[in-house]
Amino acid sequence: MPEAIPSGGRSVVGTRHPRSDAVAKVRGEAAYVADLTFPGALEAAVLRSPHPFARIKRIDVSRAASLPGVAAIAYAGNTPAIPLDFAIKDQYLFARTYARYAGEPVAAVAAHTKRQAEAALAAIDVDYEVLTPVLSIDEALAPGAPLVHPQWRTYERSAGRVLRGNVCGYNRIRRGNVERALKRAWAVVESRFTFSAGIPGYLEPRAAVARREPDGGLTVWCGSQSPYSNREELAAFFNLPLDKVRFVNQFVGGAFGGKILLAAEWYAAALALQCDRPVRLVFSRHEDGLHVFARHGGRALIRSGVAQDGGLTAMQASFVFDGGAYSGYGNGAALIATMLVSAPYRIPNLDLEATLVYTNKQIAGPVRAPGGPQATFAKEVHIDEVAARVGCDPVTFRLRNMWDEEDESPAGQRLRGVSAKRVLQAAADAIGWGTPCRPNRGRGIACSWWFSSCGRSEARVEVRADGSVHVTSGNPEVGTGAATGSLPIIVAEHLGTSPGSVFLHLADTADAAYDSGVGGSASTFSAGWAVLAAARDVREQLLSVAEHALEARRDDIVIGEGRLFVRGSPEHGISLGEAAALAGGVVCATGATPQIDDPSLEHPARLEHHEFAAWLAPSFTASAAEVQVDPETGRVTVERIVTAQDVGTAIDPAGIEGQIEGGAVQALGFALSEELQFGPHGIMNTGLGDYLMPTIADAPDIQPIIIESPSHEGPLGAKGVGEPPVTTPGAAIGNAVYHATGNPPHDVPLTPERVWRGLAQSRADTTSAAEFPHETAKTR
Amino acid sequence: MPKRVPIRICVNGQPREAFVEPAASLLELVRGTFGLTGTKEGCGTGYCGACTVLLDGQPVNACLVFAVDADHRDVLTVEGLTTHEGGLHPVQDAFVACGALQCGFCTPGMLVSTVALLRRVPYPSEADIRAALAGHLCRCTGYRSIVRAVTRAAAALAANPENPALPQPARPRGMRSRA
Repeated sequence: MPEAIPSGGRSVVGTRHPRSDAVAKVRGEAAYVADLTFPGALEAAVLRSPHPFARIKRIDVSRAASLPGVAAIAYAGNTPAIPLDFAIKDQYLFARTYARYAGEPVAAVAAHTKRQAEAALAAIDVDYEVLTPVLSIDEALAPGAPLVHPQWRTYERSAGRVLRGNVCGYNRIRRGNVERALKRAWAVVESRFTFSAGIPGYLEPRAAVARREPDGGLTVWCGSQSPYSNREELAAFFNLPLDKVRFVNQFVGGAFGGKILLAAEWYAAALALQCDRPVRLVFSRHEDGLHVFARHGGRALIRSGVAQDGGLTAMQASFVFDGGAYSGYGNGAALIATMLVSAPYRIPNLDLEATLVYTNKQIAGPVRAPGGPQATFAKEVHIDEVAARVGCDPVTFRLRNMWDEEDESPAGQRLRGVSAKRVLQAAADAIGWGTPCRPNRGRGIACSWWFSSCGRSEARVEVRADGSVHVTSGNPEVGTGAATGSLPIIVAEHLGTSPGSVFLHLADTADAAYDSGVGGSASTFSAGWAVLAAARDVREQLLSVAEHALEARRDDIVIGEGRLFVRGSPEHGISLGEAAALAGGVVCATGATPQIDDPSLEHPARLEHHEFAAWLAPSFTASAAEVQVDPETGRVTVERIVTAQDVGTAIDPAGIEGQIEGGAVQALGFALSEELQFGPHGIMNTGLGDYLMPTIADAPDIQPIIIESPSHEGPLGAKGVGEPPVTTPGAAIGNAVYHATGNPPHDVPLTPERVWRGLAQSRADTTSAAEFPHETAKTR
Repeated sequence: MPKRVPIRICVNGQPREAFVEPAASLLELVRGTFGLTGTKEGCGTGYCGACTVLLDGQPVNACLVFAVDADHRDVLTVEGLTTHEGGLHPVQDAFVACGALQCGFCTPGMLVSTVALLRRVPYPSEADIRAALAGHLCRCTGYRSIVRAVTRAAAALAANPENPALPQPARPRGMRSRA
């Protein structure tokens, strides 16, 4: 059951407060890794392969080592020859026999100045034998294609993970009999989509400082989404005792999934272990672009059968994602895509598969909602094409087929708290669905679902004699405001104080408050549980102190405004600080995430190689967009985006709106302009001048709508918040362009050229008018 | 080692002297030499706007300006917005109140550009705001809260134009002329 809030309803939860780090940030006082000063620190630089695919015949560092100022060189020859610990053990810290993407680290140098380190890189002799790279999905899957990993058969991999040549991930969900249902369908609609790869787009390039400690340990200053698991991975790799390795997280200049995996930390640490001074490594923007964990590019084919009455009867879907050169971590997008593509619609016959392939490109990683924007775009534009085929309004068609309470997910999870229709209706109403649109304008709508994640989290809450309230959580503050918004609100709610008076410590593994990190929309969920448990414990202790001090019955004591007092006589009370003093100077407690089981699946036999089919506390989100298309140039201007998101319980509404608004503009970039471009020598647009993220001049009016449908599993009924709002707006923009032009867009991003070609196609193809009834087109 | 060049510069109202390499950027000077790390480096190529400072009142990408070119000029960084007593500038106040920041990395640049905008256009329209801040990328907020914060700051400043929190010109204009 959703957890009840003490003392008769919410007083702080659900109200608006500035983030606890806002003042430090506007003063310029919040320190990010590159802002730290370490007297005498060495500067590091990384040598990267210039070739998408090459065999490394020889690396000679001797000339570089003799250059002035050079303190250490790390490369395959002097670092552990063990693969990194991912689901497929296909990657080493430095390229060893092969370099598999242009930008892959080959060596790192620490020197007294950055200039000396860079000069030394140029003096490292690497003998490359250039090989024919695999630069696209088609090339990877072609018969007789060169193998990105010629020794793939020798790789260790986790149980159930598919690995076969250039195929490094595969999963499938099957239900009913799709073949038969498609044959019997009144109509079958088929759509094909392609997606370009993208970047997370955080503004702070990755950076780390590492220092070897006198006891043989290592301290790493970092800006990570998951310092605790990074630390475990790094300690194991360098064979250091875990308790001698400390990760000290700083403020993080955006992350969006791109800072889950170790990057600069690896090389700073490898060098620092050879040095007696701290080693500092700050990536340039170009280098960060080369070292990116990208949003997956890929393609999709969706074929749906529909009955004459508008009921969906079958869906066959096939995704192929480009995993890049190393894919131990990249399968999430493929697992999520099969879970999204048929949802949230009742379709009795399903055959949904997704494949991940190796290419000689940057590694695809867990960018905010992995696979979410891509799969949602594909399925929702496809759904509009099906609706058009049966002559049905897109909102009506969705409502006709949408999940209700107790419906089952593709894998047979019995669903509760299904708010799909609520969010869809809210978004449609807000955009003015059904009212007339001017020429060359269009409205589109999209709806999807997502999961919450519950990791492991620990927290400590303490009230000190000076009245201050401190929270120690291992959950890193990366910008989302989970740690600096939701957590203080939960504590303030229970201790009768204001969130602004709660002091939050940044994650530091020396605090031993474990947290599995920011990702999977987990922060408020798992860290929220830990903080809630600790805050409740502290509250009970404070009440016990007050019982004695005030000689009152526990039930008669009120906690509020920073005090504990007897109901009806506010003057008869003590402050939180006085209570702490009476308790010996401090009242404190620790809390941890409770054991929360994954939902059960009624039909696990429907799954093939799928380990992410049971979704905890699922949530529903819908977006609607209105666009203007210039018929001469194909340029799309997004005028409005509305997103209605079910957040369970809105603990921090201001923070949630920030997530919705930011997600909308990231999705706008995904839909219209963001595209990593690869040439024969790798990424061509590592810079922010040619990789086009939306500016304030591109951003539309955005309306966030918070829908509350409390979960049974989350703290205070919360659901995961961070990822869903980046999944639906891109699809809504796609559908708006569809309805403005009459041509469903299939290649993302919708650059002016692609939209213009689509318009030309619509004009040329008179049959498209028959597919799309005039009277419905007018009202969108 | 290239010969270093002596410069005199007024930073946040304080006269400073430094010896800089001819190729050093204003950003390196501000962050490295003066330790004013509130100004951020997001790209180093003038596209993201995170390193924006005001040079003689005009927003510039500090990564694209040579430190020697700031000789005998006024530089305002985010640290210079706060009053001597530590109070927030109305623009800072508005960004806090409107939740116009998340990760905070673009914030210092956004703040000084907003100060420059509001000195030039005290009552900016939404279009004015979007045009003035188009050189600043923000990946977190979606910009809506930033537009609101600038509007709010404009109203606060208009209500109290003599606000002591406003940075005062450090010295007369005549001193800016360069040899």
